[in-house]
Amino acid sequence: MTTVGPILRLESVSKRFGGLRVIEDLSLTVRRGVRTALIGPNGAGKTTVFNLITGVFAIDAGRILLDGADITATPSRRRIGHGIARSFQNIRLMPHLSTLENVMVGQHCRNRGLGGVLQPVNLVPHNRWREAARAALADAGLIEYERSTVGSLPYGVQKHIELVRALMAQPRLLLLDEPAAGLNPVETEALQAQLEKICAAGGPTLLVVEHDMHFIGALCEDVIVLDFGRKIAEGSPEDIRQNPLVQETYLGAPAGELMERHSAARGA
Amino acid sequence: MSGYLEGVLVLLAVNVVFAYGGFLPLAAGQLNLGLAGFAAIGAYASAYLSNVAKLSPLIAIPFAGIVAGAVALIVAVPVLRTRGIYLALATFALGQIVQAIILNLEVVGGAAGYPVAAFIRLPTIAAAAAIVVVLVWLLFATRFGIAVTAVHDDEGAADLMGIDVRAFQIAAFALGSAIAGIGGGLYAHHFSFIEAQYFNISLSITIVLYVLLGGTQTVIGPLLGAAVFTLLPEVLRASAHWRYVAFAAALIVIMALRPEGVVTGAQLRRLLGSNRAESRHRAVAAGLPKGGAG
Amino acid sequence: MLGSIYAMVAVALTLSIGVLRFLNFSIPGLFMIGGMATWASLRNAMPWPLAASAALIAGAVASLVVERFTWRWMRTAQHFVPLVSSMAFLLLFEHLAVIYWGSELRTLPAVFGTADWRVAGLVISLPQLAGLLCSIALIWALTLVLARTRLGRGLRTIAEDSDAALLLGVDINRIVPVVFLISGLFAALAGVIFALNYRQVHPFMGEAVGLKGISAMIVGGMGNVWGSIAGGLIIGLVEVMSIGYFGADFVDIAVYGLLLLILFIRPTGLFAGAFAGQARA
Repeated sequence: MTTVGPILRLESVSKRFGGLRVIEDLSLTVRRGVRTALIGPNGAGKTTVFNLITGVFAIDAGRILLDGADITATPSRRRIGHGIARSFQNIRLMPHLSTLENVMVGQHCRNRGLGGVLQPVNLVPHNRWREAARAALADAGLIEYERSTVGSLPYGVQKHIELVRALMAQPRLLLLDEPAAGLNPVETEALQAQLEKICAAGGPTLLVVEHDMHFIGALCEDVIVLDFGRKIAEGSPEDIRQNPLVQETYLGAPAGELMERHSAARGA
Repeated sequence: MSGYLEGVLVLLAVNVVFAYGGFLPLAAGQLNLGLAGFAAIGAYASAYLSNVAKLSPLIAIPFAGIVAGAVALIVAVPVLRTRGIYLALATFALGQIVQAIILNLEVVGGAAGYPVAAFIRLPTIAAAAAIVVVLVWLLFATRFGIAVTAVHDDEGAADLMGIDVRAFQIAAFALGSAIAGIGGGLYAHHFSFIEAQYFNISLSITIVLYVLLGGTQTVIGPLLGAAVFTLLPEVLRASAHWRYVAFAAALIVIMALRPEGVVTGAQLRRLLGSNRAESRHRAVAAGLPKGGAG
Repeated sequence: MLGSIYAMVAVALTLSIGVLRFLNFSIPGLFMIGGMATWASLRNAMPWPLAASAALIAGAVASLVVERFTWRWMRTAQHFVPLVSSMAFLLLFEHLAVIYWGSELRTLPAVFGTADWRVAGLVISLPQLAGLLCSIALIWALTLVLARTRLGRGLRTIAEDSDAALLLGVDINRIVPVVFLISGLFAALAGVIFALNYRQVHPFMGEAVGLKGISAMIVGGMGNVWGSIAGGLIIGLVEVMSIGYFGADFVDIAVYGLLLLILFIRPTGLFAGAFAGQARA
C-alpha cells in the first residue's frame, strides 16, 4: 500500500478540562487509506480525541494536521468542509427531520453559500441533491425509511443513517465513534463488509473508536491504544495483542487471541 | 360582505402574518418575546411614512418591515449571544423598551396614539398575508429549512455538519422580526389608529402561544394556530375576554398532552405519503427481543 | 418603597428558577391576584388583615393550580413547555380578572390614614415603611428557612443537583408544591402590600409592576435569594433616579434598559453565586 503523507497527524496535543488533564502530549498518525482503530479503556480520552480533531474543543497545546494542512485554529463548522466527517457515540440525528433530510444535512458543507442554501431541495421534484441523497440511502438499503421520523427507527438503522449522513460530505477522513456498539453479530459483519467497501481505494480513510476487538481485528490494519490520555501502544492488531502493557491495561489475553485469529483469517 | 366579517378576516390575515413572525425564530429554537416591539416598529414606521412622507401603504409597509428587520439585525448579535432563557428575557426586555420609547415619541403621538390616514382593505391585506405564507413556505422548502431545523434540534451536531449556527439564528430572528413589522404595518393601515399600549407583552405572548398551538414543526402549523385563535371564538360567539380565557386554557391543556402542537412533522409526512416502512417496523419491533433489530 | 415590592416578586421568581429551573411567568399574575383580591375584599367591608389574608389564600390557590397544570404534568417534556404554560396562565388570570372585576383602574380606601413620619426634612409614609420592613422580614425569614430547616435543605439540594437530591431521598414530589406555594405567597403578598400602599389596582398591574420583578431577579442574580433583594432595591433606586433626572416617562426604558444591559454583560447577575446566598465552590 503506497502512502503519500499521512492523512491525519496529531503533534503533542494536550487538553485540560479545569484541573483535569484529559489528553496529555498525544502524538499520532493516521496513514492515508489505512483503516485505523483507536482503542483504550473507558475514560482513556478516545471520544475527546475525536472532539479535538473535529474542533468541538480547542486544544491547549500542539497541532492537528489534516493532509499536511494545519487545522488547529480552524473553527469546528469549517472542518467538515476540509474533509473530516464523523458519527457519534450517542446517535445525534435531528429528530424533527425525516431520514432523507437528515442525510441531506450531510450535504450542507458542500452547499454553503447563499445560493447553495436557497436551493429548493424540497420543492423541485428531481432536485439533484435530493436525488443524490436518495441514491445514497438506496445504496445503503435504507430507502424504505426515507420519510420516516428517525426517532422511531431501530437503533441499528439509526446508526446506519448517521454513517450515510457522514459520507454525504464526501470526506477524506471518516471518524466513527463506536459504530458497532449495540449491533448483533450479523449486523456487525455486515457493517464490516460495508466499511471495507466504502474505504477501499479512493474512498475516505477510516479512523474508528471501538471496543469490539473481533471487529477491529477483522477490519483494521493499524491500532492505536490510549490510556489516561496518552498513547501507550501502536501497531498492527497482532502487535497490539502481544503487547504486554496493552494486555495489562486493557485487553486481557483471551480477547487478544480472538483479535489475532481474526486478523490472521483476514490475511489468509 | 358585512363590515364585521371583513374586520374578522382582516384580523385573521394580520394574525397569520404575526404568526409567521413568531414561527421563524421558534423554528430555529429561539423564543422571541419582543415580537410586539417589532410589530410596533413596523406599524409606526409605516404609519409615519404614509402620513408624513405620503408614501403609498404598499411601499410604506414593506419598507417598515425592512426597518424592523434591520433593528432586529442590529440587536441580534448581542442578543443571540445569550442562550435559552436569557435570550427569551433579552427579547422581552427589548419589546418593553420599544414600547416605552414609542410612548415617549411625541412625533408619533406618544401616549395618545397615532392616527393613520391611509387605508387598505381586505383584498390587499389578504394578498399580503398570502404572499408572506408562500414566501415562508418557499424558504423552508430550500436548504434553509433543513438547516434551521437542524439548528433547532441539535446545535452542536449541526455545527459539526458545517452549518453556521449563529448565522442561521440571526437570519431567522431578523426575518421573523421583519415579518412581524409587516404585520404591524398592515394592522396600522386598516384600523386607522395605533397606540403603544397595544404592542405589549400580552401581544407577544399571545402570538407565541398561537404559533405553538398550531405547531412549529411544519410551515402550516402557524397558519392553523392563527386561524384557530381568530376564528374559533367567532364561531362560538365568545366575548373579547372569554376568548382569551378559553385560548389560554386550551393551550395549557395542549401543552400538557401534545406539546408539539396540533400539526406535527411526522403527521404531515404521514398525510402526504404513506410511511409503510415505519409502521411495519413498529409492528416487527414490537415482537422482537430487546437488542434485536428488524 | 417599590424596591421592596420588586424584591418580593423577584424572590418568588428566583425560588422557582433556582429550585425548579423554571421561569414562572404566571407570577406577575399572582401579584395581580393578590392586589385585586385585597381591593375586592375591602370593597366587601372586610377589615384589612382579613382582606390581606383572603388575598394571600387566593394567590396560594392560584399558584397551586399553576403547579398542577404546568410542572407536574410536563417535567419530562420539552424544556420550554412549563414556561409557555405559565405564560398562558398569566393571560388566563388577567382576562378572568377583567371578566370578574372589570378592566377599570380601582382605588382602595386609605386603610392606614395618612400616617407620615417627618424626620430630618424627609417625609416617610408609615404604611410604605411598614411594607418595606414586612418584606425584609419575610425574605429574611425565608433565608432562615432555607438555611436551617429540613425543607430548606431539601430545596437547596434540589437547586444544586436534582438527581443527587433524588438519590439522597429528598421527596421532590412533596417539595415542589411547597416551592409553588411559597413563591405564590410572596408574589401575592407583594400585590397586597402594593395595593394597601399605593391604593391602585387593575387587572393588568402584573404587567406594569410585576414584570419589573423579572428585571430585579436578573440584576440580582437568577436563583439567588439575597441577590433578589439587592436587585429589587436597585431597580427601585433606578426608577427614582430616572424620574428625578429624566421624568416619569422614562422609567420603563431605564428599568428594562438595565435588564438588557445586564443580560448582555453579566447575565448571571450582579451577585452571581449559589442559591440562598451560599458560597459555591
